[in-house]
Amino acid sequence: MISIARLCKSFGQPALRDVSLTVPAGCLYGLIGPGASGKSVLLKMITALMRPDSGSVDVDGQDVLAMTELELATYRAKFGMLFQNNALFDAMTVADNIAFPLRRMARFDEREIDERVQERLGAVSLSGFGDRTPSGLSGGQKKRVGVARATITHAPIIFYDEPAAGLDPVTSQKIFDLLRAEQQRSKTTVIMVSSDIERLLTVTDRVGMMYRGALIFDGTTADALASNDAYVKQFVHGLTEGPL
Amino acid sequence: MATNVGASANAAAEESGLAASLGRQAIGLARGAREIYGVFVRTLYYVFSRRIDRVALVRQMYEIGNRSLFLLTIVMGFIGTILVLQAGLQTQRVLPDLSLLGASYLELLVRDLAASIAALMLATRVGAGIAAEIGSMVVTEQVDALRMCAADPVDYLVKPRFLASIVMTTALTIWSGGVAIVTGMITAEAVFSVNPRTFWNLSLVHASDVAVGLTKCVAYGAAIPIVSAASGLSTFGGSEGVGSATTRAVVNSSLAVIMLNLLISSAALMVFR
Amino acid sequence: MTKPSTVATTPRFAPLSAAQKSLFELASTVGQMGILAGQIVRRLARADFDGLELKRNMYKMGVKSLPIVVVTALFTGAIMVVQATPIVRRIGAHQLLGWGAGFGTLREIGPLLTALMISGRVGANNAAELGTMTVTEQIDALRALAIDPIAFLVVPRFVAIVATLFVSTLYADALALFGAAYSGQFLLGVEPMTFYNGLTSGLLGIGDVMNGLMKSLVFGIAIGLSSCHFGLGVSGGAPGVGRAVNATVVASAAGIFVVDYFVTFLLG
Repeated sequence: MISIARLCKSFGQPALRDVSLTVPAGCLYGLIGPGASGKSVLLKMITALMRPDSGSVDVDGQDVLAMTELELATYRAKFGMLFQNNALFDAMTVADNIAFPLRRMARFDEREIDERVQERLGAVSLSGFGDRTPSGLSGGQKKRVGVARATITHAPIIFYDEPAAGLDPVTSQKIFDLLRAEQQRSKTTVIMVSSDIERLLTVTDRVGMMYRGALIFDGTTADALASNDAYVKQFVHGLTEGPL
Repeated sequence: MATNVGASANAAAEESGLAASLGRQAIGLARGAREIYGVFVRTLYYVFSRRIDRVALVRQMYEIGNRSLFLLTIVMGFIGTILVLQAGLQTQRVLPDLSLLGASYLELLVRDLAASIAALMLATRVGAGIAAEIGSMVVTEQVDALRMCAADPVDYLVKPRFLASIVMTTALTIWSGGVAIVTGMITAEAVFSVNPRTFWNLSLVHASDVAVGLTKCVAYGAAIPIVSAASGLSTFGGSEGVGSATTRAVVNSSLAVIMLNLLISSAALMVFR
Repeated sequence: MTKPSTVATTPRFAPLSAAQKSLFELASTVGQMGILAGQIVRRLARADFDGLELKRNMYKMGVKSLPIVVVTALFTGAIMVVQATPIVRRIGAHQLLGWGAGFGTLREIGPLLTALMISGRVGANNAAELGTMTVTEQIDALRALAIDPIAFLVVPRFVAIVATLFVSTLYADALALFGAAYSGQFLLGVEPMTFYNGLTSGLLGIGDVMNGLMKSLVFGIAIGLSSCHFGLGVSGGAPGVGRAVNATVVASAAGIFVVDYFVTFLLG
């Protein structure tokens, strides 16, 4: 379970305003909101890649902000993460990129690593791309390599920052369905940030909406679709008229 | 309206005089120094506590060493000529005798100039390279991805550069000194008719000079990657951020070289008087 | 202009073909800078450049570089004295300290170190700025508006860089001698007055000062040209900007030393 209380962060201008949020274990949580509303910053706070100005972050009963840098290394092993810009390592091949978390965090022999990498490549339909370098891939392909890298360690908590950006509608739906199926199979806790709201809402259990650094909605997917809040209604249904 | 006011306040802060600018620089310098110190301590910790990745180390030695060889050879070749020319012309005004030209030149080269000029060049080439590479990794979130995989960027990125730089700075300094001696010798012969045998006079080069020169190599070699990596890791924003991190790395590592030079030279003066 | 990813090309080592390739690259870069210089001179002759942009860049480059010039110069002066100390002690000629530190500072070290610092601070920054404008297509946008990017962006920056370096060298010369005088007192017990007498006793003349200043002008041209050239040639996003800055500082530094050699020979 992830629980955040009264989190504030400012980079000159406030990026998070008093955000409190609880994501139960095994939940697929969708985080939506316009650009620069603080979604990615929130994910980086939970993984302690950034430190908040005030507030608390608690994951499975551990106080994250009290950890030292060495404890954090162990703590972060709980997570798989797909970054907004994919963050593939330019200097490595696709297969090495996907295998990197396994090599760093656990003791596997190379044969087993290779098997798992091939399995992941197949799951994101990129079989045979293992020897390419990231710079030769299209945006959508990079995204899928990122997904493969985020899921390879079978981490109990996985964050996807825009898993479908730059993908065509069919592939996008396939990715969402795949991530949902894997999440259900292994009972992972997932937070997904996406602008593709229509497809995102077909797979989420709960939804939160951020606006200008504040969490203005938190509820089930059905609640979000039925919400009468002017901001939420406009954003979820993609209306042109409204306060946004 | 609010943003407008903010903008004009910003502009006012930008324009206000030299004192404010100096103050801002001082604050920036203090913050930078703390960052550099942090990176340095963590690098030392990882050097002694973690396995060293040999493949990464060799690749960095190639990057830092072999790829700087051409630049250093050119620069030191010209420097050797210029120094002997200037020193000879000036000495002729005071002393008629140029027989000690070579001896003094060799002494100065060993004690200071070979290391310091090579380090200034490396501060630009290696410093800019390290900051640009790490800075781009920061803005494309690759550094965050490393941290998510339990790979501290200081351990994974800075440590190999740190070790490679110490080794290669020393090696390059010795090479640079050699190049400068050869071109200096040729210039002395061609312009002032100083025989190479007279020029090659090691009587003024003491063990202490060699020790000071080598100390400088190690200090510069350690400082350049640490200072540049610190500015690369603190990159913020997109391509502008990478540009300014690279600039900061060049300026700060050049300053570090100059400051270390003064520090070590005056310490040596006190010790070996 | 973009170099291929370094990691992919590193392992193979073929010195001859590498040397040949870098020689061709060098020739092409120098040629392109020559063309850029021609374009700049043509617009300067017609006084066709943006005055406001010039003023803004003069402030940004000149005034903002002052602290770093001050620090570098003071340290440089002190280092000169520290290095001269063993020689002065050996000859026992304290009155020569001013002369020794003076000619080294004025003719070589002052202009050289100031140029290296300005190249790092201003040249690199300028390349980064032009590079960012290139990758974000702002240069193309200027062209689309029928604004000549050379006249609007490059000439003002080039002139500002040359002017900044010239003035900074003047400052640096004075401050370095100041630093040298007081570190001479501290380290050797040479009175600052003795130091100044050594400076002005006739062994040094206005010629030495002019020699250094001439050099600073030429260095400024080298820095300005290389930073504008590499800035405009950027491709490939944030990493491209990093590579351009890297190329700029390396080219400026090498250029400064090579040019120094020729100027030293020409001016004697």
